[in-house]
Amino acid sequence: MTTTEASPQSLREALHRVGYIADEALATTLWLAGSLQRPLLVEGDAGVGKTALAQALAKAEGRRLVRLQCFEGLDLSQAAYEWNYGRQLLAIRRAESGASTADDAALFSQDFLLQRPLLQAIVSDEPCVLLIDEIDRADEAFEAFLLEVLADWQITVPELGTLRARQVPRAVLTSNGTRELSDALRRRCLYHWLDYPTLAREIAIVRATLPQAEGLLVEQAVAFVQRLRREDLGKTPGVAESLDFVRALHQLGHQRLPDEPAALAHVLACLLKTREDLFQFGVDGPGVRLLQVLEGRKAGGDGVAVKHATPLP
Amino acid sequence: MNTAPLPTAQPLAALAGFAAHLREHGFVVGVAEQQAMVRAALALPGALQQPARLGEAWRSIACHGARDWRRWPDLFQRYWQPHRSTGSMRVSGQTRPPRDIRQLVQQLHDSLGEGGTKPGATAADTALTDSPAEGDALNRHQGGASRTEALHDRSLHEWLPQDLALLQQWAERIAARLRRRLTRRWHAHPQGRRLDLRHTLRRSLATGGVPVAPAWHQPRRERPRLFILVDVSRSMETHAQLFLRIARAFVVAAQARVFVFHTRLAEVTPLLQRDSGAVQEKVNAVTAGFAGGTRIATSLADFHRVHARAQLGRRAQVWVLSDGFDADEPQRLAEELAAVRGRGARITWFHPSPAVPASAAMAAARPQVQRFVRLASLRDLATAADLID
Repeated sequence: MTTTEASPQSLREALHRVGYIADEALATTLWLAGSLQRPLLVEGDAGVGKTALAQALAKAEGRRLVRLQCFEGLDLSQAAYEWNYGRQLLAIRRAESGASTADDAALFSQDFLLQRPLLQAIVSDEPCVLLIDEIDRADEAFEAFLLEVLADWQITVPELGTLRARQVPRAVLTSNGTRELSDALRRRCLYHWLDYPTLAREIAIVRATLPQAEGLLVEQAVAFVQRLRREDLGKTPGVAESLDFVRALHQLGHQRLPDEPAALAHVLACLLKTREDLFQFGVDGPGVRLLQVLEGRKAGGDGVAVKHATPLP
Repeated sequence: MNTAPLPTAQPLAALAGFAAHLREHGFVVGVAEQQAMVRAALALPGALQQPARLGEAWRSIACHGARDWRRWPDLFQRYWQPHRSTGSMRVSGQTRPPRDIRQLVQQLHDSLGEGGTKPGATAADTALTDSPAEGDALNRHQGGASRTEALHDRSLHEWLPQDLALLQQWAERIAARLRRRLTRRWHAHPQGRRLDLRHTLRRSLATGGVPVAPAWHQPRRERPRLFILVDVSRSMETHAQLFLRIARAFVVAAQARVFVFHTRLAEVTPLLQRDSGAVQEKVNAVTAGFAGGTRIATSLADFHRVHARAQLGRRAQVWVLSDGFDADEPQRLAEELAAVRGRGARITWFHPSPAVPASAAMAAARPQVQRFVRLASLRDLATAADLID
């Protein structure tokens, strides 16, 4: 059942119901994108929930999700459409042997067209969500091609003519900002910068995803991850990492966040993904920094100091 | 596309004033964006009761990147609630009634209900009638963003047009010299030197398996991504002008990103992108009014952790234009430079003094810098052209 929400508030609630906790600004932008029929460009660090947003939107509105994962060298034949040459050849052979008739018009009809994600989204009879993931990985040439699709919701196939969207899809583009996107593309989209969630929002996200985990554990673990994000890390943990972290602690039977760095040693692999970060905070390394983050103190001495009865090792 | 009729009257003038305000601060807000903003104001339920929500909606329309996104709250408040903005802005003496976003939305709805305001009809709210139309927006004091003070012309009368042309020419020469780095990737190229077997086979399907049109590829070479950090603290006052001019030349020639710093760091690339008579004013506005110390290490930390986080890699070149006097602890500069180098970027330090900077911070940081280049005049730039690769 496809529904289009009547107001940003109801969209926000619908997203909440499918487990995506959006703040008010994001819900407003998302609703507006639907209302103005404009694509939405979401930028932000890896792991803040850009892709999950499109998936949740599809779920909340009961639409089909069509996903195009971008990569370097992505071309039209992989993104939009391609002729099914094998079938065309077979049809020609069959015509040669007299089993059937084949003319040019029949060979270049919809039957011989392989639909790739963009075309699928355009010709889909039911409304869908089109997710164009990591657009910054695709080449500039592909970006230019997207302009026609995103501005006019149509794709031109030279042999067939222009195919227009039957239902305008809800398009969500995501980017990690590794390459500057062209102004032309940016101007066709609404824009939202997705930041790491606040403490309260992240707790709500973890609770919605892992309702079985203990409340105290969730609060303490998320507060720990939030403190860790303020440290100088090579790869800052995202929401997905927080979820993994809490899930791991829960499955290991913890009711609350362990006080001892040693108890965290193996679970930290859920959060820290580079060797340098693991060395900096892991128990094999200096070890002191991890204790500081656990206790909520800032490295270097400034910031809020929490007195601890036992001296540091 | 949704093509609801747009109301044409005073509220649009207020919105045009806001758009002009945004454009002055480097936003790309054209007619299409303004139309979308009006539609958003009309479509959004509860916009009248919650101006903040309308602000969020407009933010998604007017912002086209992370840089715009960060600056929005401040600019929005300055325009719509100038009385709330506190800062070091000098009051220009012009008094203007406060603008009210609720009244704007109400008027948009009203005028839409009437099928558009008749020409000559006066709006109820004087604040909106007073709002500048696009034409005179530039001449006015814009809700706190005072420009008049910063626009006094300084010292660069001696810049003749031919000097500027020469500068641009050298910048282009240096940009062309920046070594294109070989990457591991291959890309399709009609004159490539190797057969792209996969593509050729794929293409040959269209011709019954006969490779009529072979596809070629060659290794991809990419130009380095250039970041220019210009010191505009008091000690660099006399040189900052020249440095910003040079930086601008590289924005045009090599799509460099330019930052200025004194005790904080700010990106100025959007101000330098367009070539107009106003560039000089912008350069002055950026350099004027800065005083006091330099915190190079803090600024560098902000640079590599926030602003250039995703783009600082093996292909990046960072040019620091500074005299090296740092108010941070001496060892921090070396640490931050090491962090930038750790990401794979190459660092070149341009200094105005005849000798390489020898402050305590610089002494410790020297091993992290690939090259020191003197840069005090245009002639030095010509010499530098041979050193940079």
